[in-house]
Amino acid sequence: MGMLVTEQDALRNDIVKWAAEGGNRRDCLIPLLQRLQQRHREITDFAMQVIADALEIHPVEVYGVVSFYQFLDEKPKGHFVVRLCRTISCDMQGKDRVARQLETDLGIRFGETTPDGKFTLEWAHCTGMCDQGPAMLINDTVFTHATPELVHDILQLCRKSFGSFHLQGTAEPTGIRSHSFVNDLTFRAVKSGAGLRAALKMTRGDVLKEVADSGLKGRGGAGFPTGVKWNLAAAASAPDKCIVCNADEGEPGTFKDRVILNRYPELVFEGMAIAGLAIGASHGILYLRQEYSYLRERLEGVLRGLREAKELGRDVLGQSGFNFDIEIRTGAGAYVCGEETALIESLEGQRGEPRNRPPYPVNTGYNGRPTVVNNVETLAWVPCILDKGGNWFSALGTDRSRGLKLFSVSGDCEKPGVYEFPWGITVAELMKEVGGENAKAVQVGGASGHIVPASEFARTVAFEDMPTGGSIIVFGAQRDMLSVTRNFLEFFCDESCGQCTPCREGNVKLLEGVKMLEEGRCSTAYLKELCKLGESMQVASKCGLGQSSPNAFLSMVKHFPDEIMGRTELII
Amino acid sequence: MKKEKIESDASERSPASTRLHAIAAPTEPGAIGSTVRVEIDGRKVDVPQGTSILSAARGLGIRIPTLCYHEDLCIAGICRICLVEVEGHRTLEASCGYPITEPIRVHTHTRKVRQARRHVLDLLLSKHSGECYACVRNNNCELQALAKEYGVDMYRFGHPDRPLVSVDASSYSVVRDMNKCILCRRCVRTCIDLQEVGVLEAVSRGGETNIQTFKNHPLGEVICINCGQCINRCPTGALHANDPTDEIWAAIDDPTKHVVVQTAPSPRAAIGECFGLEPGHALTFELNSALRGCGFDKVFDTNFTADLTIIEEGTELLLRLHKALAQNDKSVALPQFTSCSPGWVKFLEHFYPDMMPNLSSAKSPQQMFGALIKTYYAKLNKIDPASIVTVALMPCSAKKFECNRPEMCSSGYKDVDYGLTTREMAKMISEGGIHLPDMAKSDFDDPFGTATGSGIIFGATGGVMEAALRSVIELVCGIRVEDIFANADIIPVRGFEGIRYAELKLPKVGEVPELLKDKVSDWKWLTDATLKVAICHGTANARKVLEDVKAGGRFSQCHFIEFMACPGGCLGGGGQPIPTSPEIRAARARAIYSEDKAYEVRKSHENPAIAALYKNFLTDGPCGKMSHKLLHTHYVARGKYIA
Repeated sequence: MGMLVTEQDALRNDIVKWAAEGGNRRDCLIPLLQRLQQRHREITDFAMQVIADALEIHPVEVYGVVSFYQFLDEKPKGHFVVRLCRTISCDMQGKDRVARQLETDLGIRFGETTPDGKFTLEWAHCTGMCDQGPAMLINDTVFTHATPELVHDILQLCRKSFGSFHLQGTAEPTGIRSHSFVNDLTFRAVKSGAGLRAALKMTRGDVLKEVADSGLKGRGGAGFPTGVKWNLAAAASAPDKCIVCNADEGEPGTFKDRVILNRYPELVFEGMAIAGLAIGASHGILYLRQEYSYLRERLEGVLRGLREAKELGRDVLGQSGFNFDIEIRTGAGAYVCGEETALIESLEGQRGEPRNRPPYPVNTGYNGRPTVVNNVETLAWVPCILDKGGNWFSALGTDRSRGLKLFSVSGDCEKPGVYEFPWGITVAELMKEVGGENAKAVQVGGASGHIVPASEFARTVAFEDMPTGGSIIVFGAQRDMLSVTRNFLEFFCDESCGQCTPCREGNVKLLEGVKMLEEGRCSTAYLKELCKLGESMQVASKCGLGQSSPNAFLSMVKHFPDEIMGRTELII
Repeated sequence: MKKEKIESDASERSPASTRLHAIAAPTEPGAIGSTVRVEIDGRKVDVPQGTSILSAARGLGIRIPTLCYHEDLCIAGICRICLVEVEGHRTLEASCGYPITEPIRVHTHTRKVRQARRHVLDLLLSKHSGECYACVRNNNCELQALAKEYGVDMYRFGHPDRPLVSVDASSYSVVRDMNKCILCRRCVRTCIDLQEVGVLEAVSRGGETNIQTFKNHPLGEVICINCGQCINRCPTGALHANDPTDEIWAAIDDPTKHVVVQTAPSPRAAIGECFGLEPGHALTFELNSALRGCGFDKVFDTNFTADLTIIEEGTELLLRLHKALAQNDKSVALPQFTSCSPGWVKFLEHFYPDMMPNLSSAKSPQQMFGALIKTYYAKLNKIDPASIVTVALMPCSAKKFECNRPEMCSSGYKDVDYGLTTREMAKMISEGGIHLPDMAKSDFDDPFGTATGSGIIFGATGGVMEAALRSVIELVCGIRVEDIFANADIIPVRGFEGIRYAELKLPKVGEVPELLKDKVSDWKWLTDATLKVAICHGTANARKVLEDVKAGGRFSQCHFIEFMACPGGCLGGGGQPIPTSPEIRAARARAIYSEDKAYEVRKSHENPAIAALYKNFLTDGPCGKMSHKLLHTHYVARGKYIA
């Protein structure tokens, strides 16, 4: 006769088993929580305590982590978690009406679960579908071009699918129009494996030199020279090092990394292997944002293929002594984890809070190892550079911004999508390409970037003038810049990690200021105070998030004072 | 006797986000590259590689304000008040978290810096719902002080007009008022990293970030050991002790009540700080006068029961050793753990309940005293114990919980009615119109009289061990401590290292003294024995020792281990004056050891009042039936899960 196993015992057994699989180390905390949530659809008090016990940490630390990440929740969730993107591009494409219809059809508000436990309704921050909004995620499946009329059909689709919900395991998101428009990318013509083969014929020093000579700078937005980063990590003496691919693309208006991962994942993995070769790392991690988890299955398949082709694993491509493999780790919903030290904290099972720097990850990164964190696009360029030569790359672009860049274009333009251009393109040229000539302003660099008014469209997109991770959001004549800024600040108030004072409290104050402006209650003196506060936040915040979050507010005040001041209060 | 420092105090539990750049210490201090030149406000100085800008500036006497920084804790770098400008850097740097590894030029009060600091303060004040008049930390608040320093004369970004969350007073020891929290996370780092108890953590994110217990359960219901170290490190009034002074005043004002107070050595060595004295001035005898001035009927010295603890706990140890060594009884739990620190006791009950048999069954001095006052003293003076109110002045917030443990009623009444912290007593004395340092000296009341130097040193880490060794050496070896240790100062067990280990080969064995004759017939079984002891303070260190004992390491071979929950021992307790720092704790320790030196009697077993107690009241001797009823207790296996 079998033993009677209670539900709690079963839960405990699951956790103990999973924790043991992760070596009972803290860095398995988030994967463990994700697994638990998937299996049990909630993270109970009891479960958190068992996890803490298994990982030898405190329950309150588990709770702190669960409360930090958007995709982790201690409350029970419905079978179908509907997450509607609320970020600017989807907002401009009518997410409010979709939201209202969702609430009405489900009979619940955002943040709630239907009494039958079937649906949970939540907001999402930028799902990376900005060119096809309004977008929503239902569990791991994406719906694009959502309209109020389609809400009913989509919900019916869920209702009919009963328990386990996998609409389709396709890599491309399921939706009305599922493909992003993409112009002619260099990546298309690059032969997979060529860059890695070329690198394996070179010395480590030559690989480093080739990358340095190319002038490649980080494509995530900060623009740190990749060659310098690699050299520093290569110079660090440590028994083991680590390559992390930052696929936590969360900047509002950015989706080029999704397209790259979808279409050219081999290039990215190859770039990681080359980086591993160059700095002497054997371990690669792809940190994939949870919003893109539908890509995971396919990416795992690509990795299997690469292992079979000996492009990963022991003695890569027959090069004895060069071992390199890649694991995929999924984020749990936190924009700040795109910041490299926050990303590392997250990998280590902590709240995604940026670290004090120095030390830099190239010296003390993941689990104390020298770590190179590179953006997806940066890594995808690496095999191209090794294949075609650093000179090919550095001949393109401008003096301080070498090579080509992918742009994610969304908003009020005719052809949103992913575009490859050399650095140095003017905003006007860009608008012509995408059919956005009539725009009144363009947001270069996403929520953390700057608003460029039409009068300044002659400016260039380059590190010399306006750097960007690639997000280009076009605002047509009808757009209210105050409500755009409000959307950005709501994003930052939510996505700030909350540790440093200027960012945690400052964004709240700026958002309050926007609301005051909307209601016509903000005095000129107070507006000036807020601008000074914004300037302080730019220099006083701990990481790039808080340092750049006031940009939108400040450029709005600078360029559109006539639009935001002196508003009359809406009388309803 | 040799002493070893086992491990550093630094916790490895903290996330990397809260650790300062670790630079390997140069092997040769004078070697090239071991120091780096920094220029701060035009003044040049060479500092060791990896020194923070903050400490380099402090070395030059340049003041940089701090809030989230605390000397005892790992680096957070989050409040951003200590920002400075480094030439060539795009943004300002937090001076506490920036290690100097190359020559840099720093400016500590440029326009940019001043504006940023002022903004940080304005932002903190916009969320800090504190009314300074009505705050326990009025005049001792780091936020208030900074607001003054930076000339805050208005709330630039607003100010909460009322508290938004309710105050959590569910714990006997610690009250949490999150309306006053400024999210510096000193409490979090204290609880998780310094003490490794893990009650508090930052929860949620962005503007919603706040400090919570597990699932925001009331503090009284979570796995908290009540050590109060979080209180000592809170820069504002967000954390404070649960204050019973109103009830005590009411008892004093009630003519039918006989209110007695016992004072522990650590508060006496620190209370002067509340009256503007530099740390390190003991006001033991001035305090006696002040307490009488406040209206306490009798003032007793907790050291009396500290001495009694030594006799009881020491006898218990000898009996355990006798069973283990002479009778070869393998079931005896050794090493024996001290039990006078209630924070430590609760720590063990939660995290290592299976090791409770190792814990001495002797009550803490506070509780022994309570039980004796309502029995021995009441009988002696023909006072109805029901009318006696016992107050204990302690350096400790956990003592408040301890006196409320339901089993602490062996006198038939609540043995100790109120545990009072040093800070609260200072407030009562001020309220009584008394300036403590001006008081004349007066002695303690009889029948407990003045205790011994051994009792005094209970206040410092290693003190219980030293007191125990003084008595064990004399009672077992039949020699004078001074024959081995000059002035009876057992230096090897002193110090502030987190974990200390010492061995003492017993030089010889002597006659069994009268007091113990009916327990053991001789000491022959201890001939040539080497006594192995360890001392540890701070529960993070306790964890290390306990894990070692569990794993059968060297500490499992010890006979006796002293544990104190608080860093520094009682003198660094959660009820002591704020602020605290290693220097302040060292100054208090100096005060305690110099008091010890001044005592005529310095060994617990030579305390005449103790002899009288065993002669007249506890007639069946140490660890006898009567003493077991009044002076010993049992523990509760609490575990670390909550429902």
